Amino acid sequence: MERMRQTLTSFWKPALAILVAIVISAVVLTVAGYDAWKAFEALWNATFRNLKSFGNTLNKASPLLFTGVAVAVSFRCNVFNIGTEGQFLMGAIAATCVGIVGKGLPGIVLVILMFLAGAAAGAAWGFLPGWLKARHGVSEVITTIMFNYIAMQFLGYLVRGPLRDTSQAEPQSFPIADQGFLHYIISGTRLHIGFFLGSILAIVMYLWLFRTYYGYEVRSVGFNATAARCGGVNVKRTMVQAMLMSGAIAGLGGAIELAGNAHYLFENLSPGYGYTAIAVSILASNNPIGVIFSALLFGFLNAGSTAMQRAADVSASFVNIFQGIVIVFVALAAISKKHSKGRAAKGGA
Amino acid sequence: MNVVEMRHISKYFGSFCANKDVSFSLEEGEIHALLGENGAGKSTLMNILYGLYMHNEGTILIRGEEVRMDSPSVAISKGIGMVHQHFMLIPQLTVTENVFLGMKEAGLVLDRRSLQRQVETLNSRYGFNVKPDAYIWQIPVGVQQKVEILKVLMRQARILILDEPTAVLTPDEVVELFDSVKALSREGYSIILITHKMGEVLSYADRVTVMRQGRVVDTVKVADTDEKALARMMVGRDVDLERQITGGDFGAPLLEISNLTVKNDKGLDAVKDVSFTVREGEIVGIAGVDGNGQLELGEAIVGLRPAEAGEILLCGRQVTQASIRTRLDEGLSHIPDDRHKKGLVLQFPIKENLIMGMQRSPKYAKGIFMRRDAIDAHAKELVEEFDVRPADISYTAGGLSGGNQQKVILAREVDRAPNVLLAIQPTRGLDIGATEFVRKKLVEEREKKKAVLLISTDLDEIISLSDRILILYNGSFMGEVQYDTPLEVFSLLMAGRTARDEEVV
Repeated sequence: MERMRQTLTSFWKPALAILVAIVISAVVLTVAGYDAWKAFEALWNATFRNLKSFGNTLNKASPLLFTGVAVAVSFRCNVFNIGTEGQFLMGAIAATCVGIVGKGLPGIVLVILMFLAGAAAGAAWGFLPGWLKARHGVSEVITTIMFNYIAMQFLGYLVRGPLRDTSQAEPQSFPIADQGFLHYIISGTRLHIGFFLGSILAIVMYLWLFRTYYGYEVRSVGFNATAARCGGVNVKRTMVQAMLMSGAIAGLGGAIELAGNAHYLFENLSPGYGYTAIAVSILASNNPIGVIFSALLFGFLNAGSTAMQRAADVSASFVNIFQGIVIVFVALAAISKKHSKGRAAKGGA
Repeated sequence: MNVVEMRHISKYFGSFCANKDVSFSLEEGEIHALLGENGAGKSTLMNILYGLYMHNEGTILIRGEEVRMDSPSVAISKGIGMVHQHFMLIPQLTVTENVFLGMKEAGLVLDRRSLQRQVETLNSRYGFNVKPDAYIWQIPVGVQQKVEILKVLMRQARILILDEPTAVLTPDEVVELFDSVKALSREGYSIILITHKMGEVLSYADRVTVMRQGRVVDTVKVADTDEKALARMMVGRDVDLERQITGGDFGAPLLEISNLTVKNDKGLDAVKDVSFTVREGEIVGIAGVDGNGQLELGEAIVGLRPAEAGEILLCGRQVTQASIRTRLDEGLSHIPDDRHKKGLVLQFPIKENLIMGMQRSPKYAKGIFMRRDAIDAHAKELVEEFDVRPADISYTAGGLSGGNQQKVILAREVDRAPNVLLAIQPTRGLDIGATEFVRKKLVEEREKKKAVLLISTDLDEIISLSDRILILYNGSFMGEVQYDTPLEVFSLLMAGRTARDEEVV
């Protein structure tokens, strides 16, 4: 009962925040001479017009969901993995290689191999910065950002060099084998299982963080590494494990994006998912289950941005402004929640 | 004449009563101590006097005139100044700048020289010894405290409220502070001293009002009372911090340290070639002035700091290079010196803190999953046994008072049924009730045939608990003494001189 009330109260504030953001944006739009009603109608319809558009939004949310959960796991351990972008790309690259090489394999085997390769590549890309931090005290913020650049340039090299599909004008890789494409789970839509797999993964990671002793140790290291150490936790190993886990999740996200949506590599495969993921995770207070909802929100806004442009002739920049307003208000709601909690604790002392 | 009279004050926070029918008076020129345990309502009462809280019932008279204290500016205009426990100074500014910060009297354009002269004048008058042009970040905490007092004096306060002024001071700084406070009272300033330390009250105050659970127990002249009587008033029953242990039947050595050398953070030897053992049923106390290697010795035994040389044996097993995990499994328990940094995860609820170190034990985990029912049951049991308040196992550890935080750590470490209990400064910052509780538990462990190593800078604590006492000076032991060794010998050894040195001189 108590828990249900808590869940409810944790929902109405973000909802109110979104509402306020919409009202403010509507005022701005109207003042700027646009048809606010038309713009929001387009935004809404971009997701809710029909099943196809709804599937499209879920697909757009999928990479954010994976990278968001990845960020949440590392942040919970006080490891600032800014590198989910690179881990996502390495996952996609590994999956592509497997998808191209494994032409003779049956679909289900190929897909599983692609997922495993993606997770392994992401994990490796997360492991190195984690190990550097644990072993040599190198700041993971810097190394993970640099690893992002390495991954991006490596992708650029692959699609212009060894993997280039010369039959195409733009630099891109060969497509993966047809049987490696993820099925569309509802006919007439392009919806693949990515978002659902991600949601299951988010729930699993939630349980891992809050119900297992590994998660207990991760969270204790995140809050107070010295106290965790006194409690027999191997802090360095825990941090490396968190980076491995985080990288694997982001890499899997990359593999799924590749198999479900892109089907071949190209340079702008990720429009900065790994960076948006930080906002996605923080918006959800680094709670993996919350990430499902914040990823959905971002997916919804992304899907709506082009629609708003087309329908009401609103510039794409305005959609970015609108996104910003929504995020600021939702974040404010989150902070006010924390604040009132702190006050309650103090008053009781 | 009474400069302050608070009559029948009551203050409620919601349904919680912080002050109930409290009457308090302050005479001109006296040092009046307000004594009580943490949470007794001392600070609430003084915050009412200073206008930070509005009382629900009662009246306040300043120099016989009834005043409605609804903001600190009223209090300041009535000549009341408060020095808070946590200093409110800006480190990047000088002493003078801090003193005049926010004072309209300083004028629009600051005449630094005249301001500095004003600070100088006050300074020399009360022996404050503060350099007016020093930056706050450069000066020690004891001097910062005096800057806070200067701020109050400069605002023409005649009634000073000092809230736990010695909490962060060294013993020398305490003496210096009270010299200045005495000088102020001779000049006719009236001073209220909020404290939970009886020693301060007995040495420096003229009168004392004891509070317990929001009420005044009594107001007495310090000359007419003693430590025992004050403790009884504070806690509400007889408190015994006297030595209760006698003799002992010591068994096999459980903790053996031989030729241990440990480096400090600067890479210098902090513990030098130290050897000792702690046996079953024995409390060994390590005394010494802070900073003589206690911290490094403790951390080396726990495994937080590597040993440069020497050996550590736990129950006969070599653990010198072992991980903390291994040492915990060998039966080492640890009450750390810093409960916020090492002892607790403040963001975790009490129940999760109570399993720290045992999170993988089959008692609390099935496979990799934590057994939430077992964790809850365990927490409920310990919270009850150790009287942790509030008795809510989901309460965040960071919201607990210091004494209750220490109880959580103590409960956890004792509950693990250790072979060796290492207690470092276990009662630092605790009030008398909690101190008594912690000490009682340490003695209980001794009676359970555990080996207890107590590292403390509180000599009274060492003397009242230890079977044997080792004195650490500059990383080495100056010698072993007993609880009944004369105090002069203690002071000599703690200062790094042996009795023989003295004879030669």
